[in-house]
Amino acid sequence: MLPYRTLETLLGLQEALDIARNAGFFESGTASSGVYPPVNIFEKNGDLVLVAELPGVKKNDLNIEVKENILRLSGVRTIDYGKDVSYHRIERNSSKFDRTLRLPFNIESGKVQAEYKDGLLVVSLPRAESDKPKKIAIQ
Amino acid sequence: MSNEAKEVVKGENRKPVKTEFEGEKTVPGKYYIPRTDIVETEKSLVVCMDVPGAKRENINVMLENNVLEVDAKIDFLQYENLNPVYTEYNVGHYTRRFTVSNTIDAGKIDAKLTDGVLTLTLPKAPEAQPRKIQVG
Repeated sequence: MLPYRTLETLLGLQEALDIARNAGFFESGTASSGVYPPVNIFEKNGDLVLVAELPGVKKNDLNIEVKENILRLSGVRTIDYGKDVSYHRIERNSSKFDRTLRLPFNIESGKVQAEYKDGLLVVSLPRAESDKPKKIAIQ
Repeated sequence: MSNEAKEVVKGENRKPVKTEFEGEKTVPGKYYIPRTDIVETEKSLVVCMDVPGAKRENINVMLENNVLEVDAKIDFLQYENLNPVYTEYNVGHYTRRFTVSNTIDAGKIDAKLTDGVLTLTLPKAPEAQPRKIQVG
């Protein structure tokens, strides 16, 4: 019979492996625990709309760049409670982020609109005119 | 398009970003537990929580029997007519409860919302504030 300790050791090892594997260390991303910020991308009338939750990021600390089909989202989130405070609970962290996404088609960079409100960033990304599918008339 | 969109997903397996609230609520829809910091200064307790997407008018803060309850609702309307092609997080309302000690001056609690962060300042009752005692 397997001694209890052996089982525990094995389980511990298994857990450690799972944690290491899920930590993103072996993934191609740069962040250790997935990418930040997480984004949702929607399609609307053939164009794309990107939504990201960025609570606590100031508008001026947020940068969006678009070139062809590449979108770059970067910025800083600073959390500062000043000196002379004691912490009871910390779940939010300051972070510097820089994320690049490849979109499925080229974007009309001049027509990109971004709105940031209540910690929610909404970027509308219209498909480049030159990249739109053309309807071919059948002769 | 789905094939191309897949490319974005590469190498981004991850745990869910948000923790779902498991209790029951009277309003349908998903509820999440907002990430919260609690810090204490000399005069007050400061509670900061991330509630991205919730508008000022849809945030409810209640204090009853020493339980501070925050309920923030998001507006699902803005997602209408949008067809998700690639998603990394789910959206939902936020709820969280804290038990506060009775050394809080309940009448002077202050709540502010900036950039999706709700900051509650709970002033300590005067008798609970530190006093320096002079040695005679």
